[in-house]
Amino acid sequence: MPNLRRPHAHLWAVAVLTAIAVFALAVPMLTGADPRLTDFAAAYQGPSSSHWFGTDPAGRDLFVRTAAGLRVSLVIAAVCAVTSAVLGLAVGVAAGALGGWVDRTVMRLVDGINALPHLLLGIVIVALYPGNLAAIVASIALTHWTQVARIARAEVRAARSATYIEAARLSGATRTRVTVTHLVPAAAGQGIVAVILLLPHAIWHESTLSFLGLGLPPDQASLGTLLQDARAAVLTGAWWTLLFPAAALVITTLAVAAAGAALRDRITPPLPERAIR
Amino acid sequence: MLTRRALFTVPLTAAVSLALFALASRSPFDPLAGYLGDRYLTMSTADKRRVATELGVDAPWWQQWATWVSHAVTGDLGYSRTYAQPISAVLAERGPWTLLLSGTALAAAIVIALAAGMWAGLHPGGLLDRALAAAATVVQAVPPFVMSLVAVTVFAVSLRWLPVAGLTDPGADPTFGQVARHLTLPAAVLTASLLPWLLLSLRQSIRAAAESDAVLGARARGIPEPVVVRRHILPVALGPFTTLIGLRLPELLVGAAIVEEVFSWPGLAGSLVTAARELDFPLLAALTIGTTWLVLAGSLLADIAHALLDPRVADDA
Amino acid sequence: MTIPALTLDGLTVRIPTASGTVHAASEVDLTLRAGQVHALVGESGCGKSVVGAAICGLLPTAATVSGGIALHRPGSADVHLEAARPRTWRKIRGRRIAWIPQSAATYLTPVRTVGEQLAETCRHLDSPHTPAVLLTRVGLEPTVAGLYPHELSGGMAQRAAIAFALAGDPQVIVADEPTSNLDPELTDHTLRLLRAAADAGAAVLLISHDLDTLPAHTDRVAVMYASRIVETGPTADVFADPWHPYTRDLLAALPSGGLHPIPGMPPVLTDLPGDCVYHQRRPAPGFSGGPTHIAQHGDRSVRRLIGAAS
Repeated sequence: MPNLRRPHAHLWAVAVLTAIAVFALAVPMLTGADPRLTDFAAAYQGPSSSHWFGTDPAGRDLFVRTAAGLRVSLVIAAVCAVTSAVLGLAVGVAAGALGGWVDRTVMRLVDGINALPHLLLGIVIVALYPGNLAAIVASIALTHWTQVARIARAEVRAARSATYIEAARLSGATRTRVTVTHLVPAAAGQGIVAVILLLPHAIWHESTLSFLGLGLPPDQASLGTLLQDARAAVLTGAWWTLLFPAAALVITTLAVAAAGAALRDRITPPLPERAIR
Repeated sequence: MLTRRALFTVPLTAAVSLALFALASRSPFDPLAGYLGDRYLTMSTADKRRVATELGVDAPWWQQWATWVSHAVTGDLGYSRTYAQPISAVLAERGPWTLLLSGTALAAAIVIALAAGMWAGLHPGGLLDRALAAAATVVQAVPPFVMSLVAVTVFAVSLRWLPVAGLTDPGADPTFGQVARHLTLPAAVLTASLLPWLLLSLRQSIRAAAESDAVLGARARGIPEPVVVRRHILPVALGPFTTLIGLRLPELLVGAAIVEEVFSWPGLAGSLVTAARELDFPLLAALTIGTTWLVLAGSLLADIAHALLDPRVADDA
Repeated sequence: MTIPALTLDGLTVRIPTASGTVHAASEVDLTLRAGQVHALVGESGCGKSVVGAAICGLLPTAATVSGGIALHRPGSADVHLEAARPRTWRKIRGRRIAWIPQSAATYLTPVRTVGEQLAETCRHLDSPHTPAVLLTRVGLEPTVAGLYPHELSGGMAQRAAIAFALAGDPQVIVADEPTSNLDPELTDHTLRLLRAAADAGAAVLLISHDLDTLPAHTDRVAVMYASRIVETGPTADVFADPWHPYTRDLLAALPSGGLHPIPGMPPVLTDLPGDCVYHQRRPAPGFSGGPTHIAQHGDRSVRRLIGAAS
């Protein structure tokens, strides 16, 4: 049976991601332009040779602003993902290693958090701490750590029954030592994949919050705030204010998700073939 | 099973509301500002202190929580500053519009998912199957608010086929025609945001059912193919599908919140965003509890549906 | 002389997989006669289930079939099934060829009751029998009709499967290891039911690896090894005097034969070499180790090396 997953998908994803990274990181540095620089004389202009992505209602160049926004969104997403991962890894490994009532309580908590819609939790947390960047990160981390925790716990439990753990224990290693030197690396591989797969969710989450006015302040460029600007601008026909940030958001999300999925497929051993009857 | 679930609702509601009040007490948000609005800036400190004592906002958060609970059980959910109405009135007025929007979108999504998902699942590897899978993956990556903006730009601004926002044209009465026209775009966007998940899941269930031994057995017995699809594949695939719908109800609500916000649809879900932005705490609390109940209801419906559709699921009392 | 109901003529089935081409059946000749129970035996993985699946039109779509499968009926033309289109199969399956699967409960739709599905089958096959009559015929209580497939015991499921198979009064019944999960009493009962079906006019193919039960309940036996038929004949004769070394070894491995296990493992069917490979497990001079053919002697046949002395 031929491999149904296109083997070259991950190459495309990596290529797109590289292009995105260049765009997000290099553009602001190279042009030196300030994304907040307003120029009301040039407001509401469509894409042109001087403004590749056009300008927004305040005359800010959208090419630079989109690049800056993309970078901000990515950075925040990365911070959220790492925070989620650390939290999830810690809790997951503890639950898997300690077992018993700790494990049960943790799984109950995980189920509870998973049942609630993430964005709702995010909105509530951010509402109570308006304008606080840490709150934004927390709102995403507190809802997404469960995915990492689940994977970490599963890996730890699988590794626990492995014989090399028994050997280590028998040779006198303490529980903590066994946990740190053996179980954490076992969970790390899957953990990294989980972190990468968290990034699209984090980008989604932050951009939605910023769009609703609950995230970053409007003059701070992020994909969400840019789209918030676009909301009013498109009513006057300024379609470019929507196209470029939206395209950046969707393409980035898809590329990261594809790369993460490809990585996961490489790490996870393929399922055995179905036997012929 | 029902009674146990119903009883579970009470401690869960208490826990969630407690958590909310506790969280709020630590936030920099001054409830007095929430209550007074603009007057907060102009009032003297002495007056503010007086109002504070009157309102009881100086009390520790658990006491405030207890007060809130005692009011809530009698039906008094408090007053919404944003809408200048008692919250129960807000719920009564705006709830139906959310039901209309969400219900329409959910129904449309289910119908489309059933039709397309069945076709794709029964013709795996076919053109439609691959196209749908690819399209669903892409659409899933688009956040609902982006979809809303795109829809507005294309259909409302450029093509001018449909109105931009609101329940009716400004000043017009909410007649059937008016509402229907204004409902189209937000409902379409909400449907589009729900569809990929439902579609992919049904496609998967149907594929699995179609490849199952049970279907092989039915074919071997000489059952004609249309009957196999209708009475052997579909009923088996519906179980997981219905369960999924129940579990996804909270997501539907959040999607509705965003869509209502962008389209200025006067629904309850959208007022969640408003309540958050304006820090209308009583409304926020009420809506949070409501969502919690919705989550429980959704999960319960999912379980009930599963038990009804699949006799293998044991009914634990 | 009984009428042949189904003839396999050089049936060869190849199934491509990722790990190579599976030689599921090679040059299989078999004749099923009305009123007879014909056993098809061999170790697990020798390809006997595939032969059954081929007769019922249940092979995976990737499989290639060559050779002939001919369904006969006195007074009308033969139906050639090896390359039959779905339209033909729709008229054949259930009506003229019925299948009794192993672990029958998994072959019923889990969300509907047994009775509902049996009634549906009777309806679509224009069966002269009612579900109640069929259930009684196989020894099940009529109350079984109200049960769901997962509520059936192994024995009940097997009997239900026979009931389903009998609904259309088929010419040919293929029973794929119907007794492998049953206790001796139920095994006996099941085999008697198949005997009764044969007595009523059907040609029954009993695929089994349960050799002890065969002499009492079957008329003929065909022995398969690694996708090839190595010996056929009346069951009593073959068991009393096996000709092919593999048949001898199979019988010797039974408790009644002395429990002498056959050395080695049955071969994996992927990319088998050209001819009988039994010599790779045990030296079989005259029978294996080169090009072979089927030598017919009366109503018995055996696979021999071409040119070997009889």
